[in-house]
Parts: sequence; C-alpha cells; structure tokens
Amino acid sequence: MRDVSFEVHDAEFVAIVGPSGCGKSTILNMLGGLVTPSAGTIELDGRPVTGVPPKVGYVFQKDTVFPWRTVARNIALGLEYHGVAGAEQARRVREGIRLAGLEGFEDAFPATLSGGMRQRVALMRTLVVDPEILLMDEPFGALDTHTKLGLHAELLSLWEARHPTVVFVTHDLSEAITLADRVVVMTRRPGRIKLVCDVKLSRPRDVITLREADEYAREYGQLWHALGQELR
Amino acid sequence: MTERARVLAWRLAILAVLLGSWEWLTGVPAISKLPGLYWLDPFFVSRPSTIVQRFVYLASGRVRLSIWAMALSTVQSTFWGFLVGVSTGFVAGLILGRNGRLARIFEPYIIAFNSLPRIALVPLITMIFGFGLLAKVVLAWTIVFFIVFFNTFQGARTVDPDLIHAARFLGASERQIMRTVVVPWALAWTFASLTPSISFALIGVVVGEFLGGESSGGLGYLIIQSLGTLNAADMMVALVALGVIGIVMALGIKQVETRLLRWRPEYRKGT
Repeated sequence: MRDVSFEVHDAEFVAIVGPSGCGKSTILNMLGGLVTPSAGTIELDGRPVTGVPPKVGYVFQKDTVFPWRTVARNIALGLEYHGVAGAEQARRVREGIRLAGLEGFEDAFPATLSGGMRQRVALMRTLVVDPEILLMDEPFGALDTHTKLGLHAELLSLWEARHPTVVFVTHDLSEAITLADRVVVMTRRPGRIKLVCDVKLSRPRDVITLREADEYAREYGQLWHALGQELR
Repeated sequence: MTERARVLAWRLAILAVLLGSWEWLTGVPAISKLPGLYWLDPFFVSRPSTIVQRFVYLASGRVRLSIWAMALSTVQSTFWGFLVGVSTGFVAGLILGRNGRLARIFEPYIIAFNSLPRIALVPLITMIFGFGLLAKVVLAWTIVFFIVFFNTFQGARTVDPDLIHAARFLGASERQIMRTVVVPWALAWTFASLTPSISFALIGVVVGEFLGGESSGGLGYLIIQSLGTLNAADMMVALVALGVIGIVMALGIKQVETRLLRWRPEYRKGT
C-alpha cells in the first residue's frame, strides 16, 4: 500500500472497505502494533505505536475463542489478565453474557456453539474490558446474512452505550454504511485511499429499516460507484 | 439385546472358548506328541485350573513374598516412573517448544539419547541406583520422558499464533499467555502420549525387575524366578496380573483425559 494517511477521531466509527489484497487488514494490524510499517508512522494520542498498545481491543475474522474455556470463562479472560477477580469479575461477566444474549450458555464449550454465537463471545470478550479503541478485522465475514444483521444491531447498541473508537475493516459495503460514521474506500493493490465519505445517517440506527431509507441508497450508490471501479 | 450387551456376550464367549480349549488341549497328552505341538503341554503353557490354584497359593499368607506385594511394587514403580516422566517431559517439551534456539541446540542430543535402546541402559542404571525401587523408576522415566517430551514439544510449537495475539490484546503478560494459551493447547497433545506412556513405563519397570532380583520384588521378579524353576504356572499368574494392571492404568488415564479434554467435540459423546 502507498500514501495511506487518515485520522480517526475519538469515539468515531470508521469503516475501511476495499477489494481483497488492498492492504486493509494490514492497516489494522499496524494500528494494533502487530505489524511495523516499512515507512511512515502510526500515532495514538500523538505517540507512535510500538507493540500492542493498552486499551486497544481487537476482534479477528478468524475464530479466536479459546476452545478449552466455557463461554463465561472466555468472557472472563481479559478481566483475569487485568487482575479483576472475585465478585467484580463475576458481575461483569454476567453483564457481558446478558448484553451478548448468551444467557443459558455460560457453561457451554465453544465447540457446541454456532459460528454467530462464537463471534458474539469473541466480541463480548473484547468489550468487557472496556477498550477505548476497538479494531475489527472482518469480524462477521464468515457469517450468513441474517446472523450478520443481528450482530450489527448488537454492535451498534453496544457502541451507543460505550462509544469506543472503532476501526472496522470489511469488504461488505452495506455493512460499512450500516455501522460507520465515515467510510474509507481503498483502491486495488497497491492500496491507496480512493475516497473518504461521511455517512450522514442519523443515529441510533435500525439495521433493518435503515436499508429502506433514501439516504442509505444515496450513500450506497455513491460509494458503490467508487468501489466498483476498483473491482473491475 | 442392546449393542452393549451383545458386545459383552461375544467377549465372554471368546474368553470361555479360549480358556476351555486351553484347559482341554493341555489335558490330552496325545496332542503334545503331534509334530510341532510339543508346547501344548502343561509344562510349557500351564493350564487355567493350575494357574488359578497357583494364584490362590501366591495370594495367601503362606508365601514370603505374596503376589499382592509384588503387584504393589510393580504398580508403585510404574506410577512414579510415569509421574516423573510425564511431568519432566511436559515441562521440557513446553520450554523447548517455545524457544527455537534452545530447541536447535538440544536437538542432536535428544535424538541421540532417544535412539539409544533403553534396555541397554538397564545394567548402568542398576550400577548407579542399585536394585530397588529407584532403579525401576529411573528406567521407566527414561522411556516416558521422551514420549511425552516429543508430543508436548510438537504441541507447544504449533500453538495458533492468532490465539496468542488475541490474548495479548486482552492484556495478557507472557506468563499469562503461557498459562492460558500454550499450556492448554499443548496438553491436548500431551494427553495423546499418556496411554502409550503407561505401557512403556510398565515395560521399563518389568525389565528393571528382571535384573533387579528379589530386592526389586515385583512381578518381573516372579517371572524371572519362574524361569529359573521352570514354573510356567507362576509365570502365567504374573502375566495375567501385568495385563490387569495395564488395563486398569490405561482406563484411569482415559478417565482423566476425558475430564480434562471435555471441551473437544470428540470427547463429548456420552456426556
């Protein structure tokens, strides 16, 4: 990728879309400190990022729920790492399970859950430690459309509640428009920023009715035009 | 009749036929006169009825070293050899599995030592550790260690890096990553090596007892003593006892394994 420069503001929800191989996941890995850029800098609150920064949560496309831990123990992971134990841990895990709609599955092992439920566990496991910045790498890419819509709704309501800064990588334009305040469209390899577009849809959004709105169609049309040129 | 009952019925039927023909064939002197069948004689293979008699005798208080004491000695040595072998093998596998340089440094030594036939070590181990429990434990350890080591090493090396990243983003320290990601991941591999390990531990112990004489006092001693007195019945008693010990230990490990690996789909059947 080349000449990629953008800023993400506090409590903003930014989506990055682009054709496969344009480097959108690499951008996320750089933001998360997993990859060091060969040129240029990544700054967080004015300081360069070296290594995994604290207060950053990362949701992977791949299933990274720990298979040997139950749902509740997976959600407790981050709290455990931060030394939050006992009643406080139990309370926050319970709350997370409620928010993720996983009541009744506390003691289930991931192997017995559907892909959508596992991704809900992964999302809640990240959110339960209250990250200020949330990096999401096509987290719903492997899910079917209905499950995806459900998770969009959940993500939006969780975001409304806590307002973390989110950078969300996806190849699904409708997903980007549904969720984000701002959409960054990347070009084909070598990836460059083609277009940055503010999504002027009011919040809170309803993932179903949103798609019937004229504004949605307008945003979609404009962005699709830009993205479409890169897919040819 | 359920499938379970049917399988059990077949097993019992096979056992009955085997024991029955053993008892009957060794009771007909003419059969052992047939060419090539000289060994179908109570002198060589004993008879089930004699074996039971000898067992009752060896289990009674009339002998100096009862079969119970011998079995206990064998079980004890096997258990300790297994325990020490598994724990040291696991720790070594974890350390070398997560440290590429150490693994490269030690590789030739490990391969060399592992390709050494362990039986060749028996006299040396006996010289160093004497004839008692300790020598048998050490012998079992040298075998079990490598089996567990290689499996754990392989497991620790193949930990999914994304799980480690995920843990790091959740705020895990290196220690916490070891405890919550690497160890559980490697354990699944370690467990695959435990059932063969217990059999090999038993082999090590029995070989140690062959050489150890009376002071090592296990079932291996009974076997070698029976060879000296050409007593096939006592030998058979020892063999049956070893078989039972092997089965019980393997079942015990299976229990622990099923409990600890219950998160894996293949262990969930019947729970």
